[in-house]
Amino acid sequence: MTISESDASLVDSTGTDTIVELRDTSVSFGMDRGESRVLNEVNIDIERNEILGVIGESGSGKSMFASALLDAVPAPGTTTGDVIYHPEDGDPVDVTGLSKSELKQFRWEEISMVFQGAMSSFNPVRSVRTHFVETLSAHDYDVDAGIERAKDLLEDLYLEPERMLESYPHELSGGMKQRVLIALSLVLEPEMLVMDEPTAALDLLMQQSIISLLNEIQEKHDLTIVFITHDLPLVADLSDRLAVLYAFEFAEIGPADEILERPAHPYTRALLNATPNLSAPLEQMRPIEGESPDPVNIPPGCSYHPRCPLADEQCKSIDPGPYDAGDSRNHDVYCHHWEQSIDDLERAFTESNSDDSPATRNASHSDDAEPLVSLEDVEVQFGSENDGWLDFGESDVVTAVDGISFDIYENDVVVLVGESGCGKTTLGKTAVGLQRPTDGTIEYKDRDIWKGSSGSSTLEDEEIRRALQIVHQDPGSSLNSHQRVRSILSTPLNRWHPDLDGNDRRERILAMLEYVGISPPEDYIERYPHQLSGGEKQRVALIRAMLVNPDLILADEAVSALDVSLRVSIMDLMIELQDAFDTSFLSVSHDLSNARYLAEKTGGRIGVMYLGELVEIGSAEQIIQNPQHPYTQALRWATPELEQDDDPDENPIRTIDVPDQKNMPSGCRYHTRCPDARETCRTQKPELVDLSNEDGVQRTACFRVDDDHEYWDSEPITDDAVDGDEDDDHVNVSG
Amino acid sequence: MKRSEDTNQFDGRTSDGLDSGGDLETKPDSVEDILRSDGGTVDSPFERTATVEETRRDRIDRKLKDYLWTPWSIMRNDWRAIVGVSILVVYLLIGTVGVYLIDPTHPTHGESLVGPFEDWSHPLGTDQSGQDILSMTVYSTVPILQMMGAGALFTIVLGTGFGLVSGYKGGMVDTVLSSITDVFINIPGLPLVIVLSVLLEPEHPALVGVLLAAAAWAGLARAIRSQVLTLRGEAFVEASRAMDVPTISLLRKEILPHLMPYIVVNLVNAARRIIFAAVALYFLGILPYSDANWGVMLESAYRAGAVYRPDAIHWLLVPMIAISGISIGLVLLGQSLDRVFNPRARARHERSDDGKGSEPESEPNTTNVTQM
Repeated sequence: MTISESDASLVDSTGTDTIVELRDTSVSFGMDRGESRVLNEVNIDIERNEILGVIGESGSGKSMFASALLDAVPAPGTTTGDVIYHPEDGDPVDVTGLSKSELKQFRWEEISMVFQGAMSSFNPVRSVRTHFVETLSAHDYDVDAGIERAKDLLEDLYLEPERMLESYPHELSGGMKQRVLIALSLVLEPEMLVMDEPTAALDLLMQQSIISLLNEIQEKHDLTIVFITHDLPLVADLSDRLAVLYAFEFAEIGPADEILERPAHPYTRALLNATPNLSAPLEQMRPIEGESPDPVNIPPGCSYHPRCPLADEQCKSIDPGPYDAGDSRNHDVYCHHWEQSIDDLERAFTESNSDDSPATRNASHSDDAEPLVSLEDVEVQFGSENDGWLDFGESDVVTAVDGISFDIYENDVVVLVGESGCGKTTLGKTAVGLQRPTDGTIEYKDRDIWKGSSGSSTLEDEEIRRALQIVHQDPGSSLNSHQRVRSILSTPLNRWHPDLDGNDRRERILAMLEYVGISPPEDYIERYPHQLSGGEKQRVALIRAMLVNPDLILADEAVSALDVSLRVSIMDLMIELQDAFDTSFLSVSHDLSNARYLAEKTGGRIGVMYLGELVEIGSAEQIIQNPQHPYTQALRWATPELEQDDDPDENPIRTIDVPDQKNMPSGCRYHTRCPDARETCRTQKPELVDLSNEDGVQRTACFRVDDDHEYWDSEPITDDAVDGDEDDDHVNVSG
Repeated sequence: MKRSEDTNQFDGRTSDGLDSGGDLETKPDSVEDILRSDGGTVDSPFERTATVEETRRDRIDRKLKDYLWTPWSIMRNDWRAIVGVSILVVYLLIGTVGVYLIDPTHPTHGESLVGPFEDWSHPLGTDQSGQDILSMTVYSTVPILQMMGAGALFTIVLGTGFGLVSGYKGGMVDTVLSSITDVFINIPGLPLVIVLSVLLEPEHPALVGVLLAAAAWAGLARAIRSQVLTLRGEAFVEASRAMDVPTISLLRKEILPHLMPYIVVNLVNAARRIIFAAVALYFLGILPYSDANWGVMLESAYRAGAVYRPDAIHWLLVPMIAISGISIGLVLLGQSLDRVFNPRARARHERSDDGKGSEPESEPNTTNVTQM
């Protein structure tokens, strides 16, 4: 079955032409505990040539929805109900009834899928060309013609076709792999593309660039795209329609702008409010109470009723059917009280949010305050230098952190922001004494923390070791899976409170669990980590660090791995614990919205890192509202916003790929990507300049803040002048 | 929530954490006000201590529960564990009690080559010189068990120790320990055993066991080291390091549990290997012996031509069955012990015991499926 491209372009994209229809589609898994319904009788029409954004938290059934579209639910799961595909010409096809060989033809040629992990979607021992050839020949396509088409696709995605085809997967960066994967999924000219979290593993700037590329690709190839993500702001701008999944069912389906402006379902509304972003006032952000239901025990009636402030008896018993909401014909909402929800949204929240969330406070410090931890010219290098003795390879030293100095005060909050690989985690670990710097000093209350210690992993001074603690990114691996909550939390008590006996420890742990909202604590104390949800694990990890009575805690992406609806509540808890325990936080985040929430609520600072250097540091308000460094501006641009923006700004970076860290650019390291770079930037290195005023503290390392600098007299760098950057896949994405 | 007005008091706590337990009970009320948003009279959760002192008995009970009752209640649901443990218990009983119940034998104890089950004074028959085969088999169990235990323990202790320390410590320690390990890996095992047995003439079975394991531990050390290398980078290890947990208890509590399934399988295999090696070397006549054991029995039966003589076949079969039996017991035990160290199995068994069905445990298959 081949599709002629000319026909496809004729179809009116605004028409009501349905391409895939789901009727009462369910996916279930039989388990010891009963039948687990991971997709529960959903109905949806996907229209031809639209971009449908499917949003759901983890465990809401969104990946099962994707698999059901291709009848690709992994065994032993079973799909029931109808999945009907309407080809451009010809009769509708019932996807669930297809035979194995028909399915093989259907998948990839009609509907193709881009999976989440671009890293693991490639075979590492095969070149990219082999992947294309295999796909083409498996579907009996003409390989030569297919390769030509692949080259066109790669070109469209701003990749060099020849170089890409000859590369092996490890030679490509994450963003390149993801783009190659998109090209690979389009090589058989499918009608529809299903993308399951395609940008989850990528950096902000890369994410935003790929989103823009998708728009172009969709227009050029007349595709229908189903974009599945947990990140609402990410698809807000891209999608024509949004579908919100909650507890394995659709809560609301409708045009994107309507859902964002007038969400009719209480869950959508709560989700919008729970999503940290850059523009909304902090008071509007509030967590969603409660947790998503277990797929085995979906509540009867409306599945959201246990968490919904509007719920009444009707919600508990009757499953809400689709109600037509809003002006447009195709805005469906699955809520009995959607009208009330629209009109009376404030009431919907006041009930569940009567408790006092910690008020915004000011952690800023006077200049003469004694720093708690002070970093001075810290430098961390990995790898070994080529010493010329039995070592003929290249010198492979990577400088992760290069000469950074800053101070952390008592009750301070500093959030480090940057792309992956910019050295923010390394800097954080260095600051809490878990990574020995190759140069420079770190002082805790004027004492060098590495003084007297011989190894590279232990501090000599017990008091300093106690004072500096860490909370990790992945709640899954930060707790030892072989220990119960009791023994996990006993470890710090055993070490630092040896006078407590077993009963004391138990009482203390129970009290702490209760304090952070894990109840009943008696039940949880005997659990293993696999019996806790992500948010509970992160709470336990926080308590563990707190039980040591630290002065500074490194929170390494502490909320990134959590669901959107949980992030705000964990950050609130961190702020609350900081108050109670009188500690400071050094937080690391790749997400500017999370950084803003944490820093602005505590009156802390945000530090922006680029390639091992601190390019700008200042109060949250200054960094978000008035960024001076071009890189901070780029990050600000790349952070997705909830509002639909019809006229997006020009992409503020010249190339989306980060330079090779073994071969750092000279002068200002950002000059290879900076839109304002001039010749001076290539030769001279800017220092941090203090721009603090009454609005807040701010220090920026850019020549542009100095009106008298020779920068203003030098020639701008044009794109073709950039030669230090060997991969010249410049992407000029606009829109 | 208010900030502390009494910051000095608070700082006193943070700078003196080691004895804060006693320190904290004398906190002024203001601190409790900070910590409890409800302003109740309950003392702060961060300072709460128990009213009842923990007794020695409590501690013993807790240890017993962790190390004995829980593993047992997991194992009793698994037929492999039941069979494996029963087999090994039978061997242990034979080795301990059996030697008191059955008289030692000597040449011309009975007729030459009595068949099994013919004469009930020699239930399993006799060999060519008239020695009772049952008695010989029972008395061989003791040295074999000693050999097995000593050899297996030696392999595991040395292998795990070297692997853990060199993997976790890294650097110079790793270089030295790994070099020693490499030396032992590269020494050919059989010639070494032959040379050593000629030099040392080991008579005591435990010494024989250690000798046979002399080269076997190195491979385990290598494997453990590589596993530790991946584990030491895990977040929970780093967190423990940040808490200044002593290295010994970090290795024991954080890293060792992850390796236990692997170590147990190796323990069981090492035990089996020792038996096989010992029997083979006795059969070949390389190891010196004064008492009978299964290997020696096999050898003398073979030399007497039992392979071709139907009337002597039981002389060969009985020790072979004894060897196979203990091997099967060990394999079954090894397989079932794997579950004991699995936290999911532990949690599941508890739930079924307490009748608490409400825990939202995420089964492995659903987690994979829903997050794909």
